[in-house]
Parts: sequence; structure tokens; C-alpha cells
Amino acid sequence: MAGSALRRLIAEYKQLMSNPPEGILAGPSTEENFFEWEALIVGPEGTCFEGGVFPAKLSFPADYPLSPPKMQFTCEMFHPNIYTDGRVCISILHAPGDDPMGYESSSERWSPVQSVEKILLSVVSMLAEPNDESGANVDAAKMWREDRKQFEKIADKLVRKSLGIPA
Amino acid sequence: MRAAGVVLISVALTCAVVGNAYYHKKQFYPSVVYITKSNPSMAIIYVQGLILVLMANTFLRKIFFGNLRAAEFEHLMEKLWYAVTETCLAFTVFRDDFSPKFVVLFTLLLFLKSFHWLAEDRVDFMERSPVITWLFHIRVASLLALLFSINLAMFNYAYNSTIAKGPSVQLVFGFEYALLITVVLNINIKYILHTIDLQRDSPWDNKPVYMLYTELIIGLMKVTLYIAFVAIMVRIYTLPLFAFRPMYFTMRNFKKAFHDIVMSRRAIRNMNTLYPNATPEELAAADNVCIICREEMVSASKKLPCNHIFHTSCLRSWFQRQQTCPTCRLNILRPTTTSQPSRQQQNQQPPPAPAAANPPPQSTPTPGAATQQAAPPPQFQIPTYWAHLTTPPTSQGLGNQQGQNSSTSQLPSGIVTGVPVFTHSFQPIIPLPPVPTPPPNLSNLTEEELRSMEGNLRAAVEARIETLQRVQLLLDAATAMMSQYQTAARSASINLPKSDTLLSQDDNKSTTSSMDNNRDSSSCISDFSMPSSTNGIADLRTSEVNEQLTPDSSSLLYSDRILRNNSLSSTPTPTPSTSSTGGIAPGELENLRQRRLVRDQSVD
Repeated sequence: MAGSALRRLIAEYKQLMSNPPEGILAGPSTEENFFEWEALIVGPEGTCFEGGVFPAKLSFPADYPLSPPKMQFTCEMFHPNIYTDGRVCISILHAPGDDPMGYESSSERWSPVQSVEKILLSVVSMLAEPNDESGANVDAAKMWREDRKQFEKIADKLVRKSLGIPA
Repeated sequence: MRAAGVVLISVALTCAVVGNAYYHKKQFYPSVVYITKSNPSMAIIYVQGLILVLMANTFLRKIFFGNLRAAEFEHLMEKLWYAVTETCLAFTVFRDDFSPKFVVLFTLLLFLKSFHWLAEDRVDFMERSPVITWLFHIRVASLLALLFSINLAMFNYAYNSTIAKGPSVQLVFGFEYALLITVVLNINIKYILHTIDLQRDSPWDNKPVYMLYTELIIGLMKVTLYIAFVAIMVRIYTLPLFAFRPMYFTMRNFKKAFHDIVMSRRAIRNMNTLYPNATPEELAAADNVCIICREEMVSASKKLPCNHIFHTSCLRSWFQRQQTCPTCRLNILRPTTTSQPSRQQQNQQPPPAPAAANPPPQSTPTPGAATQQAAPPPQFQIPTYWAHLTTPPTSQGLGNQQGQNSSTSQLPSGIVTGVPVFTHSFQPIIPLPPVPTPPPNLSNLTEEELRSMEGNLRAAVEARIETLQRVQLLLDAATAMMSQYQTAARSASINLPKSDTLLSQDDNKSTTSSMDNNRDSSSCISDFSMPSSTNGIADLRTSEVNEQLTPDSSSLLYSDRILRNNSLSSTPTPTPSTSSTGGIAPGELENLRQRRLVRDQSVD
């Protein structure tokens, strides 16, 4: 019997394959290693990220699902809750106890009940509604609050870039 | 490409150096002497040697590991960097011993270490990979055997040379190889555990526990080695700065392993004691998938107080991290970790309905208090068959009252609390059952406290059941007392009436109660009526008995009193009722209803 983390990841992968949520595509990058996933996230409709297809990678710890995976966008992103290097900062990806921004309640933190699907759906809703109180990217948070026009302009540029369309 | 270029340049330079020497000296030995005398030539030869060693290393790595994964390469580079720095620090301590041999030994150690790291990564990878080939097993097994024997040989060599020549740089090598032996052991155990796990068809629940203990033991060995090494080094040379970083990490890991073991043990204990196993019906009712591992729950599942069901093994590993329900985040340790008083209040909480009873007796009353407790007569109805045996003649009553008071106040207070003592003239014949502490005073509690004690949570239900068990114990104690009285009365040659009729009568009246202790109480009360037909010399005693009967029976029926929402009046005169519908039944009915209520709630 393989490790419990591996079995759970395989189960989640099967679930995602058989019943794929809209706007999300995810799976292991290689057959040999189920602990590194790649995901494609479609920008939610009606937002400034609409239409964009953003690649990201998920890396799972050996004790998944007891510890949360890490998620990092592999494309350029400009968003209040995404670090400039692409790492995603949302509470669902933080284990209770570590609180980088010091505001999250433990009820929205990682627990084994969460899944890849829930993480990706959270990220989609995060794209739609940034939380400008936790500044993973302070510049983006400031711009989101004060200069929405400019923010949308940058987001539009990123969407075009993600699709390979020249701006 | 660049590596190949470097190798080519190095080989070309070496050829040039050798060719140049041979061109000048024409013979082998003079050429060798020429090269060793010339510093630039030696530098080139050293670089060539280093490149050869690197190539050999790469070759062996290819044999044993194949292509490294990106993560493995990253780990390797990171650790190598630290290892090189620490080796340079070690050089400073042993600068007097500095020689080519010394450098060679350190290089060898470095490469061996790198193989250990890679092997560890590989074995850890076993848990993550869906396919483990035979090639993998052969590679890892042979590598582990090879590493172990090399470590052992090198350790032996270092030990022998230290014994023979006294402390030298070999001390460091011996220590390093001893450490590597523990590392190989650790990898070996992990490999064996993983292999066994892979061969099994069902998940191996105990594997994490074995892994934890392995880590703890290996950690302990390493910490001991480090401490011994530092102690020796401080005595002989100086503070071994280069050992401090790995020593710190080893100690931190050991502490973590220890902490994990403690948490794991606590989790296991909680699992075994606090939570019930999920029944097959419960499993069938839920969707039967453990939300932690996303697999079906067939057996070995536990139900938390919040009614969420998980695999025992999944919960165990989660509880090592956090003591909350994974689904609803209920803190499952709260019932046991909160302050003791509230816990006791919860335990002693009687069924919800009889909230505001009169202050029940405290657990350690003074003799005076005992008299007071015995004095107030029950306001509830007394069985009809008691009517004729209560209320003694007033002329006698006064004196008896006094006698009773004095007798009661002489009694040991402990007995008075739970079970009333009949009269001091009879010695106890059999030891009494332990007297339980009566439930606490509920009228002192605020609304909020009461509300928190109610509810369907396991703790609340447990508290109710416990209270009921106490009541049962009280009743049992009363029964025991009664049988003693009976024996005593027999020994005092009092004629005993047949109590069967009373008993049957009582049974008819007291509804369809089937509870054991209800039966107990009713039968003991019917026993109690035995001195009713008295004659001759026993007359006085009987009246004494009767005088005490009502207060005593009030204590006897103490359980009913606390179960009923009754406030007891403090008038000292017994007010027995002659109503035929009463009897003990109302109290019992109430009792029964409470029990049903509790049972239903606990089923919920």
C-alpha cells in the first residue's frame, strides 16, 4: 500500500478528472511524482481578470493532508493577495498557528477537510474579490483601493499576456 | 557542456605538464621529481585529481540513483554548501595536521555524506511514488549495504589510529562516521518500513508510530554522540565550532520527535478513552467516506463529540497536529482541559428538568447539620402503608424527638450524608457501600451555566448519566442499610410481618417501572414497614423507629427529592399523606421520565 498522502492525492486527482469544476484544470506534472501539481485557472467572469488563463504550480508536503500545500503562480501576476514571485497568500493555505498577516481566524485555515478543488475555487474567488487588508503585494493593494482604473489596466495586460495576445 | 569543457581543459593541461616534464627529463622518476618540485605543475595535478574524483562521484551517483530529481538536487546543493563551510572550519582546528592525506579523507567524507543525503531523499520518495521498481529496490539495498560497510570500516580505522597514535584529526573522522552509521541505520529502518507498507494490501495504521519511535531513538543516539564529541573536543583541542550547527539541528529534531511522541500518545489515549467507535449503522447513515483520507470507512472509525466520523488512524495523525475536529473545528480537548470545578459541575449535573431543587446536603456536613438534614420531612406523599406506622403518640414523641436528635448528632457525619443511620443501638453488620457525593446545588448556578450544562454534547449526557448512577448508588446503599436493620430487628426478636402483600401492592401502584433500583427502593420501603406490628418490649424502640422513619425515608428517597422539582419545607413534624394514589410512585415516575429523557438524548 502506498503512503496515505499519495493515496489521497490520487483520489483527489480522480475526483477532479471525473468531475472537473468550471474554470479550473489541475493535475500532477509528471506521472512519477504526485506531489507536484500544475494548475490552470481561468480568470472569473465579470472581473478585470476575465478571460485570462493563469498557470500555477502546487507542491504538496509529505504529510498532506495534515499540512497544506503551497501554491505559486508561474506567470506574472499583479494582485493584492499574490506575492510578486507568484506565491498565493490566502488563509485556506495557512495551517492554524502560522499567520503571516496576523488577521486570519482559525476557522478559515487549512484542515484536512480542504482539498485541491477548494483551494483553487478559493483562488478564483480571490481573483474576483481581492482582500486588500492583507497586503501580500502592497503596491497592488494600494492601487486596488485608490486607482482601480490603473489596476484594471494592468490586469488586462496580464490577461493578454497569459493568452499570448500582444497588448 | 561546460563541465565537459572544464574536463577537457584539465586533461589537456595535465598532458602538457606531464609531456613537458618528460620532454625535459626523458625518464620516469626524474619526471615525477620534476613535477612534484614545481608548484604550478602540482596545482594542475591537484585540479586534475579533483576533477577525477568528481567524475567518479558522478559515475557512482548515476549507478545508484540514476537521474536526480530537481528537489533532490536542490537538497544536495544546499547541504553540500553547509558541509563545505563546516569542513573549512574544521580545517582551522587541525591546521597542524594539514596534509594531502587529510584533504583526501575529507573529500571522501564529503562524498559519502552526499550519498547519505541522496539515499535519505530516495527512501523518503518511496512514500510518494506510485511505482517502485525492482531496480529501485536493488539500488537502494545495495547502496545502503555499501554505505554501512564503508562507514563501519572507516570508523574502525579512525578508532584504531586514535588508540595507536593518540588523538588526532582521526577523532573528527571517527565521530563523523559514527554519525553516518546512525544515519544509515535510520534510512535502513525507514526503507524496511516503507517496503513492508508497500507490500501490504491494506493501509498500515501503526507505521507512523514506528516511524516516530525510530526518529526518537536515532535522535537520542545522535544527540548523545554530539555531546560526547563536543566534550572530548573541548578537553583535547578547542570548541568545535563546526559541529555546532548540525548539533543544534539534531537537538531541535530530537525535541520535535519527543514532542510528537507525546502528542501522539495523548491523541491515542484520547481516541481510546473519550470517543466511541462508530457503529456500522452510523457508518451506513453517513456517506461513509473519511474526509481526511477520502477513503471508505469500513472499520476502526471513531465518532467525535460533534458526531463527525473519521478513521481512527487518520484522526490520530491529525490530533498530533491539532486537537480539533477537522470538519467543524470543535476543540475536542476542551472538556478535559478546562478548570476542574466546571468539569465537576458538569459531571454532577442532574437531568435538566429538576433544575432548582432545595439545597441538597453538602458532602461533609457537621453533626448539627446532619440533624437538620434529617429533620425536614418530605413534602411528597408517603405511601399509604406508612400511615399507620408514623406519628407516634405526642407524649412519647417529645422525648423520642430529643433522643433522636442526640442520637443523630452522635453519628459519624460521613454516613449521614448519603444514607441515614437508623438508630445507634444496632451495630453495622456488613460494610456499607461507598456513599457517593450528592449532586451539587443547582440553584446557585446562573442561567448561563445551566444552559451550558444542558445540550446534547457528550459531556453533558455523561454528566447526567453519572448523576443517575450516583442516585442508584444511594438507593443501593439504602437497600443495604435496610437489610441490616432487618437483621438487627430479627436479632432483637421483633416479629416480622409478611411484607409480600405490601410489596405487591406497591408494585401495582408504582406504575410499570422496570428499573432495577426502582424495584430496590420500593422493596426496601416495604421491608421498612416490618416493625409496624410491634408488641411488648419493642414498643418503645418501634416508636423511636417510627419517629425517625420519616426523616430517614426522606433521605432514602433523597434521589427522588433531587429529581423532583420540590422545595422541602422545614417543619419538623412529619406530614404523611394517606392518599391511596400517592406512594412512592410520583417520584419514581419522575425518575423514570428523567432516565428516558437522558437515554433518548444520549441516543440522539
